[in-house]
This record gives sequence, C-alpha cells and structure tokens, in this order.
Amino acid sequence: MNLQPLKSMIQDHLRPWRPESSREAGSGIVSNFLLHWFPNRVSLKSYKFSYSWYLGTVSFVLFLILGITGVILMFLYVPSVERAYWSIKDLDFAVSFGWFLRRVHRVCAHLMVVAVFLHMFRVFLTGSYKAGKIVHSWRNYNWVLGVVLLALTLLLSFTGYLLPWDQLAFWAITVGTNIAAAVPVFGEQLRQVLLGGTIIGQPTLIRFYVLHCALLPVALLGITFWHLWRIRKDGGLAVIEQVRSEVQNQQPTAPKKFKTYSILGIAGGTSVQVSDPTTLNTDNSVPSTPFLTVRLLGVTLATLALSLILSLIFAAPLEQAANPDVTPNPAKAPWYFLGLQEMVGYSTLMGGVIIPGLVIFGLALIPFLDKEQEGIGKWFTDKSGLRWGTFGFAYGTVITVLVLAIAILFPMRSVFPGIESQLFFDFVNPATMQILMFAALYFAVLKKTSSTRYAAIATFCAFIVAFVLMTYTGTALRGPDWDFFWPWQPWPEHPSTL
Amino acid sequence: MQPNTRRSFLVRLTGFLVAGGALVASWPLFRSLIPNVLYEPPRRFTVGDPNRIQQGVTFLDEQRVFLFREANSFHVISGICTHLGCTVKFARFGRQQEKTVRAFSFTALGEFHCPCHGSKFHGEGTNYAGPAPQPLKWYRLEVSPADGELIVDLDREVDRDFRLVV
Repeated sequence: MNLQPLKSMIQDHLRPWRPESSREAGSGIVSNFLLHWFPNRVSLKSYKFSYSWYLGTVSFVLFLILGITGVILMFLYVPSVERAYWSIKDLDFAVSFGWFLRRVHRVCAHLMVVAVFLHMFRVFLTGSYKAGKIVHSWRNYNWVLGVVLLALTLLLSFTGYLLPWDQLAFWAITVGTNIAAAVPVFGEQLRQVLLGGTIIGQPTLIRFYVLHCALLPVALLGITFWHLWRIRKDGGLAVIEQVRSEVQNQQPTAPKKFKTYSILGIAGGTSVQVSDPTTLNTDNSVPSTPFLTVRLLGVTLATLALSLILSLIFAAPLEQAANPDVTPNPAKAPWYFLGLQEMVGYSTLMGGVIIPGLVIFGLALIPFLDKEQEGIGKWFTDKSGLRWGTFGFAYGTVITVLVLAIAILFPMRSVFPGIESQLFFDFVNPATMQILMFAALYFAVLKKTSSTRYAAIATFCAFIVAFVLMTYTGTALRGPDWDFFWPWQPWPEHPSTL
Repeated sequence: MQPNTRRSFLVRLTGFLVAGGALVASWPLFRSLIPNVLYEPPRRFTVGDPNRIQQGVTFLDEQRVFLFREANSFHVISGICTHLGCTVKFARFGRQQEKTVRAFSFTALGEFHCPCHGSKFHGEGTNYAGPAPQPLKWYRLEVSPADGELIVDLDREVDRDFRLVV
C-alpha cells in the first residue's frame, strides 16, 4: 500500500512545528489551522514569564479541563431533586474514576476563579487596560470584556455549586438567591425568576443545570474568543507599547557597506539606507512557533499537572442530602462569596447589592477614569506607583481590620438601640464606612498627585487586600451563629434546638 | 445630520421593524420561563386536632413554622429568617421569662437565632441583633368548621397580638 500521500500530508501539517528558518516559521502560522491565531513573531518582553505569568493561558486551560470533565459528568448526572444527590454518590462510590472526575472538575473550578482574579490583578497593575499613544488600541474595551468574563466565571461556579444537591449546596444557594431579593423594587420577582418558583426545588435545579451546562459556558467561550481576538488586533500584550516606543526612538544605524553603488541623479552619496520601521525584528522578538507554542504547551501541562495533583490531595466534599427543614450552622456560601456574605451580615442592601454593584461597575469604568498613557506594561507604572500601591495595601489592611473590629465588637444595633428603621442600618454600618474610606483614598491620592493612575493603583490595592481579608474572615473566623472565633478557638458544641 | 431622504427613512423604518420584531420574538422565550403553575407545598394546611398539640412550642419542619400553645391559646410564627431565608432555631431559656418588647408584654419560652448571619429575634419575633431587617412573620390560625382541626394560612399575615383560643 502506498502511504506516501498520507505521510506527506502529515509532514506538511507538522512541518511548521519544527521550522528551520524564520521564513518557514512565519509560513507555518498562516498554513496551519492550529497556529493561525498566533502572531508571526512575539516580542521578548511579552514572552517573558515574569511579565504576564501566563495567567490568561492558565485560566483558559482550566476552562478547557472543566469543559472536558464537565461533558463526561453530564453523562453521569441526573438533574432531578430525587436523583441528583444519588448520582453524585454514585460518582463517588460506583462509577470508575467518578470520584476523580468530580474532584478534578471541582479543583479546576476553584483554581479558575483564583486564576481569573490574579489575571485581572496582573492586567491592572501593569496598566494593560490603556489604549496606548503610538497606535490607539481598543485595549480599554477589552478590559470591559474581561470584567464580563470575571462575572461569568463567578456565575458558572455559583450555578455549579447547587448541582450536588446536598446541604452545602442547598443553603449556599438559599443565601445567594435571597441576596438577589434585596434588590430594590423588583428583587422578589428577580429571585422567583432565578428559582422558577417561590422555594428552591426542581424548577431551580433544572434552571441552574441548564445555565451551568449550556448557556453560561457558551457565553463564556464566545466572549473568551472575542477577548483573545482583540489581543491580536491590539498588537499583542500591552507591553508592546514599550517595544513600539523603543523602535520609534532608535537612531537609524549606519548601513553596512557591501558594495558601492552610485545612484546617479536619484540620491546623493554612494549607498542606499533602508530603515526598518516594523516593530518586531530579530533583536526584540522571536518566532511564535516554536518559541511561544512550546511555552504554551509547557504552561498547559503545568496547569494540568497542578490540578491533577491537587485533585489527588483534596477530596470533593459531599454532605447529607439537601434538607430544606434543617439549616446547618454555620451556613456558608462558596469561599469567593464569603467576603460578600461577611458584608451581607452588616446589611443585605449595602453589602449584597450596592457594594457589589459599585465594584463591578467601578471595575468596568477603570480604563475610562484613568486615561494617562505612561508606563504601559510596567508593573505599578514606576517607583511612585509602587509606593502608592504599597500605601494602598497598608491603608486597605488598616481600614478592613478596623471595619471588622467594629462589626464584631460594636454591632450597629447595640450602638443605636433606640432606632428601629431598617433604612438607617442599611446606610449606617461597617460596610458603608469601608466603601466611603476607599472612595476617600481615591480622591485624596488624586488630589495629592493629580494622577488618576496613582489614585487608581492605591484604591485597587486597598480593594485587593480588603477582598482577601474579608474572604479569610468569612471562611476561617466565622463559626456557628456567624459568631467570631480565632483560628485557635474551638467552635462550641452548639445545642441543636428543635 | 443627514438629509431626510426616502432612503434614510426606509433604513430607519427597517431598523424599527427589526428591533420591534426581535422584542416580540423574545417575549415568549422569556415569558415561558415564568411559571404559571407551582408544584409547591400548599400555603394553607391543617396541623391536626388542637387538643393533641403539645404545650409550648412545636416546629413544623415541612412548612418551616413554629406553632406555640399556651393552655388553650395558639399562635404561629414563621421560622424563615427575614434576612436571607435560612431556618431560624429556637433557643429555649432555662425558665420562661416575662418580657416587654416594643410596648408588648408576653411570656417568652426562648428566642430565635439564625445560623447564617447571626440574627437574633425575641420570643415574639422582633429582631434585636444581626442583619435581619424585619421581625419574623406571624400567620393566621383558624379552626376548620368541618372537623375542628387547626389550619395555618401562610398567605394571611397577622399582628403579634393574634391568639386563637380554642
């Protein structure tokens, strides 16, 4: 049998992976389907590990692992209130490798939330949401797409949380959907549309299932491709702005003389000089294939390895089957919402609706509030930026600890025992104080430095540390009845009344 | 501003038609997701012969309400926290206490604690600590004229001085 045509076809497709010249590497990008979304060359600055930490790649790889394990899990899971819990039990005890698939899916979901947050921190701190001066890009709009992707990631994680239909799932979703009911005017209707009824039941389960397995992943994938396509259209990672300005400021070097020509009557002198205006050249960049492709393969394998190792270490919990009659004490939302739950403990309206709304809206507005174009692609912009960032971290720590201390030691209702108005407590509480102090930080730094970038850095860093501290408090320091416990204090054996 | 030509008018008209059509087409998609029939537990249910209900407090777990009996007087308090809908727990006092809350005197067997965000309620449902925005709800109790059984009606809220004396 003549296998030559098949062999040559395979070779033809594999060839660009091992190019022998820059030219061959470049043609590989345009001839190979798998490579066509890479640029021809990638600048050394954006290739560098310590610039981007490849967090976007990590997030995307985690999403792929979630997609693959998720499809397998869909074959094994039954979205009905009678059988959901038992199909998860089957995964853990009856299905070959079912326990492992479930663990990998859970670990990757948590890791993806972490990776997406870290990716956002990186993009903010390197000023990568700025349009740039030399070629005006749409990077500021791509940041908004990123905020949407963050919201979708959290929604995906939240909808997946209900599916095991155990106590953990049931009460996390009870708390979560009741936060929606705190929206003024149409809150209760919103909750009922989410639940498909007035209580969590079969309609809720099927709603969350379809959102989790069909609508949200498709939306996330579509916007992810848009997000990635925009990176290509904007010339690559934002650090390209530095490469551009370096190339622009470069003095044209004297041409090497190989032969002497005289271009009679056209140009003076005896040589022709060609100045190369392209941004990426052999000095500041490498061909995407094999350099970037091999690096991405490495990142992919490392992410996969990490998630598999973590899956072997951490078991996916499964509590008792969901029981609407018994609320576990304490009842907690998923960890990334525990900062929110902590604030919801001060006031549902302020901590559950106004502040999260302001934060998401504020995040999306960042590129339009801060339009300074200096230091794009540099961590913290410059030395002063680093100072303001450090100040923001310190300020955020002090304010958050203060806010938590007030919340724990001086509950508002005991400070103002005579007041019964709920509206009063919705606006006078530690969460309001925190958001006002952070707003004050923004305007104070803005006034002192007259730089929106420094003000944004300080405030953003304060928010990062507040998010971490609030989440830690909600996760580790809150016990039965949402009382405060130090890590070394044992939780009381609370009497189970009635 | 472009001149108002026939072409620009037709373009705008098409735009309106497309937008209107999309709106009309999306309405059934959205409306179908709002249920017209709920297969949920009934909002009005019997709890049995009043004489056989124990003195003190009984938690009806399916309906998430607390049923109180003092001699021949009955009342019902909701077990759903007004903050985020967790089921509150009834923490009994060692002995019953005479209390006055918001100019209302009553005998309290204990008080309500919410496990989710630490809200606390007095024995008659008034919130006094934590994030709960409102007192626990009180529901109407009646005696069935047919068989004399107690009926709880979750659709009819009552004030905290409501007592059904049988």
